Amino acid sequence: MLTQMLRKEFILILRDKHSLAALFIMPFLFILIMSMALKDTFNNERALLNYEIIDLDKSLASRTLQDFMLTSSFLHKQTEESNSKTHLTISIPKGFSTSLLRKDRKEPLLQLEVAPDVKQEMVLIFQAKLTADIMALRLMQIQKKIALLLPASQTFPDLTDFQSKDFLQIDYKGMKTNEQPTSTQQSVPSWIVFGMFFVIIPMSTIFIGERKQNTLMRMASMNISVPVLFAGKVIPYILINQFQVVLMIAAGVFVVPLLGGDALTLGHSLSGLVLVSLALSIAAIGTSVLIATLAGTVEQATTIGGLLNILFGAIGGVMVPKMYMPQAMQTFSNVSPMSWGLEGFLDIFLRGYGVTEVIPETLALCGFGISLLLVAALIFSKRVNI
Amino acid sequence: MISITNLSKRYKAHTALDHVSLEVQQGIILGLLGPNGAGKTTLISILNGLIPYRDGDVSIFGLPLKENQKEIRRRSSFIPQAFAFYDNLTVLENLRFFAGIQRITGNTLQNTIDSAVSTNRLQTMLDRRAHSLSGGQKQRLNIAIGLLNDPEIIYFDEPTAGIDPELRNNILQSILSFKAAGKTIIYTSHYMQEIEQICDEAAIIHQGKIVCHKPLTDLLQQNDSQTTLESIYLSLTSGQDEQC
Repeated sequence: MLTQMLRKEFILILRDKHSLAALFIMPFLFILIMSMALKDTFNNERALLNYEIIDLDKSLASRTLQDFMLTSSFLHKQTEESNSKTHLTISIPKGFSTSLLRKDRKEPLLQLEVAPDVKQEMVLIFQAKLTADIMALRLMQIQKKIALLLPASQTFPDLTDFQSKDFLQIDYKGMKTNEQPTSTQQSVPSWIVFGMFFVIIPMSTIFIGERKQNTLMRMASMNISVPVLFAGKVIPYILINQFQVVLMIAAGVFVVPLLGGDALTLGHSLSGLVLVSLALSIAAIGTSVLIATLAGTVEQATTIGGLLNILFGAIGGVMVPKMYMPQAMQTFSNVSPMSWGLEGFLDIFLRGYGVTEVIPETLALCGFGISLLLVAALIFSKRVNI
Repeated sequence: MISITNLSKRYKAHTALDHVSLEVQQGIILGLLGPNGAGKTTLISILNGLIPYRDGDVSIFGLPLKENQKEIRRRSSFIPQAFAFYDNLTVLENLRFFAGIQRITGNTLQNTIDSAVSTNRLQTMLDRRAHSLSGGQKQRLNIAIGLLNDPEIIYFDEPTAGIDPELRNNILQSILSFKAAGKTIIYTSHYMQEIEQICDEAAIIHQGKIVCHKPLTDLLQQNDSQTTLESIYLSLTSGQDEQC
């Protein structure tokens, strides 16, 4: 009996082109588009600010300051050929080199002009960089003075090495040395989660069609039980969800690099990945079955389901990564089951965690999905005398 | 075969069935007549275990319905008016599916499908998707699915609605052949001529009550030769007469 239910459901899904598009093509395209669109957001080498320097001092110190600034990858010095917009203009006044170590300056050491659309945090980052550079210049001058007092055989250590790239090694937790998060690692989990919830479309089309066309009533008159009927809905969609996961991961690993994006790097825990993926599937199917049970028409179910998915996605960090949300919004995003699934996937893909760390998300998703399935079964049993 | 005593069914303020009592003997065709909303579908749905009931007693095959729902369902079949199958499955896939969920497997499965296919002349369209069939072909598939479990009782809910005269005649002949095979048939229809043509007994249901249940011959003979089933039906359902 169950075999026939599964076989029927698979045939019907495979023959429904619109559902296949929603389940596979939509998330696949989103992964490609968003991985490319957000590529630079995760690129540490990308210049964030364009600046100009007006050097009125033309001293060794002012030229050294300019050299220091060139070492930063997030800053781009404008040239005459540059077409891009200037965000910051630094004026180095005459007498800069002589006033570097003076306390009794009447004028500021440097002047900075900022374009009005530059974000405050960018100005603060730039200010920190400039402060470090001035600090280094001062240290250099102090070093020179101390060196004159030391015997020729004795050298003074270089205190300005914090300007160099090897001063600080940054390692991302769960990642290999020199490995860093990429847009692909953000977008693949996000759009897998989003795509999985779209099982609402084939599920409601078939389920409500069965109700409307009296097929369900006929099955009821043939002694089908609610557990078998629901298993006949849940099992095929779990398998479809797992196929979606495999396909979308393959897109991240093999297709995104072909378009110039970063390849998805898989975490170290296959069992953790399977666990999150199955739990997410239960949550997505529970939501879909409940909507399909409550809705009167396919149009109602797909509209409600679609809106709910977009809402879950927007709140849950699928459309806008959580890290860009304000703290209050990040906390609020935890109400969305998509957020639990996304965190679970990010734990595996991005943070390099294993089974133990994804258990809270897994339990939350399973609890949510099973609760909705039970409610749907209860409502369904009341409506149909099976 | 079917024994109904004082069966009532209420939906909030609306009484769908009001103390219905009915006996149906084995091997007959009972025509169940009544205007829309009279309670025909509710009665058939209760007999098929699709709607629960509280008041009254129903027993089928000598078994109380409430306690033996599964067994009774296994031995009977409901052929709804709507085409209750999957448009996107082929004729054969539909037959296999509905046979499968009734646990018909192995050699029995093939024999059952072959029999349903030949009885309903579906041989040439087994690989066609159901949505591509004509109205008549769809009705034949609808009936074929209902025959898969070789039922002892078949409930037909207006099987000839919207069907052309030739096909209607074929369906009626098929129903007569089911009777000849010893099956009991409950047949609802708005076409009085059909009831007169194939039914042994007629029961007229009006506002949830059985206002007439007699062998068709008795019903037509008790009145003068000008009386038809239609005129009896109209006089009962318009309130002109209370009982036949």
